[in-house]
Amino acid sequence: MSAAVRAEGLRKEFPLGWFRGRVLALEGLDMEVQRGEVFGLLGPNGSGKSTAMKMILGLLRPTSGRAEVCGHRAGTIAARRQIGFLPENPYFPNFLSGAELVRYYGRLSGMGGALLEKRILELLELVRLGGEAGKRPLRTYSKGMLQRAGLAGALVGDPEILMLDEPTAGVDPAGSREIRDLILELRGRGKTVIFSSHLLEQVEDVADRVIILHRGQKLREGRLEELLTRRKEWEVNVQGLKEEDRKELRGWLEKRGAQVVREGAPRERLEDYFLRSLPEEKRR
Amino acid sequence: MMGSLRRIAAVAGNTFLEAVRQKVFAVLLVFGLVLIYGANYFTEFSFQEQFKFLKDLGYAAISLTGLLVGLLGAAQLIPGEIERRTILTALCRPLRRWEFIAGKYVGLAFLLAVMVGVMAVAVAGVLGWKEAQLIAREGSDPAVAAAIRAEARDPRLIQAVLLVEAKLAVVAAVAVFFSTVATSTTFVIAMTLMVYLIGHLESVAREQWLESGEVASWMTKAFLAGVAFLVPDFNLYNLIDEIVAGNAVHWRSTLEVIGYSAVYISVLLTAASVIFEGRDI
Repeated sequence: MSAAVRAEGLRKEFPLGWFRGRVLALEGLDMEVQRGEVFGLLGPNGSGKSTAMKMILGLLRPTSGRAEVCGHRAGTIAARRQIGFLPENPYFPNFLSGAELVRYYGRLSGMGGALLEKRILELLELVRLGGEAGKRPLRTYSKGMLQRAGLAGALVGDPEILMLDEPTAGVDPAGSREIRDLILELRGRGKTVIFSSHLLEQVEDVADRVIILHRGQKLREGRLEELLTRRKEWEVNVQGLKEEDRKELRGWLEKRGAQVVREGAPRERLEDYFLRSLPEEKRR
Repeated sequence: MMGSLRRIAAVAGNTFLEAVRQKVFAVLLVFGLVLIYGANYFTEFSFQEQFKFLKDLGYAAISLTGLLVGLLGAAQLIPGEIERRTILTALCRPLRRWEFIAGKYVGLAFLLAVMVGVMAVAVAGVLGWKEAQLIAREGSDPAVAAAIRAEARDPRLIQAVLLVEAKLAVVAAVAVFFSTVATSTTFVIAMTLMVYLIGHLESVAREQWLESGEVASWMTKAFLAGVAFLVPDFNLYNLIDEIVAGNAVHWRSTLEVIGYSAVYISVLLTAASVIFEGRDI
């Protein structure tokens, strides 16, 4: 079976205008995303994440190199049938309601009739915009609601791959957590998810593998476990250890040649603490 | 093929819906209807003159309102979508770029047809109202009543409606063409207006130059031929004025002008699709 996405030497230069030369946005990107993976494209602004995504979607033509989506050349109709896309900002026709947006995208994907209507209801429920919320115009939605409506629109054609460009940018922690949970749910359903982000904590929670880009060049690539695990260290979290036992334990470790690198009470992540502080109904 | 038609219909439906939900188009429609209705209050003239005035003003209102809607609507079509970036979420679907262009154009052309239709019905309504008023006042003589009816119920006005729609459809196609190369709505409006003006002036300029009897250089000939080929001749639609003035215009001439419009629209949309195909979004 072909990879979900494969890119070979993908390069993009943008002309700056007459007699002003060209700017390099992405330099010879090689990458392969397997089906069912959650794959993160990481990097600061201007690193080439969105450019890479747009070339895989066929919105930008590569200056050189090639990309394939499920074995089809990127940009072809067959390739685009396999991808659902959620852009960085809610670039949706805001005169539509949530349900109308999903219906419009469904029709563009070649769907129609009772099948489409059933799919709209399912998806709006999935992203928790069912009932009255789905009938409201998009211009009355919060950023988090817009991203969820966009996610429903991206999923309407039942694509194999979901591409999310900075899906949690500008979304509050609760909304961000919802999107992260949705990504995990979609992975559970066998979807391939490729997303870009510069919010690294969130990537850590969901991605299987990542690529780190900087100024259009690939710096690192690998599974998060391999990239982040400090093989030479070992961590044990314990409860109920007395002060005198701690000293004894440290002495015991040093006697055996181990070096204590850090010690102390572990800290909770601020995002988790914040979410725990909210009333139950606000967390979801 | 059916898939393409379905996707074109989806884009067209969305374009139409967007225009309907934007207040500016409703305001323009009301402006046109008020203009048509206001013409009814000019009663100082003979009934023939009153009808002529009503038709003149009515069709001028339809043309002006249609032109404004066509220009504003077309300028929003693609540059507007690029500025708002909504185009990203449409073109990443299994939708061909020419289908997107065709859908956008069909949506706008349908909007123009609906607006022209509504205003034409308003003109017909005002003419009918005027007919009833005049017959009540001056129609005791059967011959005068028959003449009033003939002025009010002129079937040639259908030709005028079709010609107005054809003219606006060409203007919209010109705007769609420019919107595929433009980066701003202002550029599209300016370029379309320029073509509209040249299209009105080109045949006049050509005739004047031919009558002057000067011997043309090959460059002048090539330039005039180029302009005549590239720019639609909007003077052909002056048949509308003939009809409104009460002169007989053969259906064949009307259909020829509609055919000419269809050819220009096809060429412009094909060129727009080719340009748009290679454009980075």
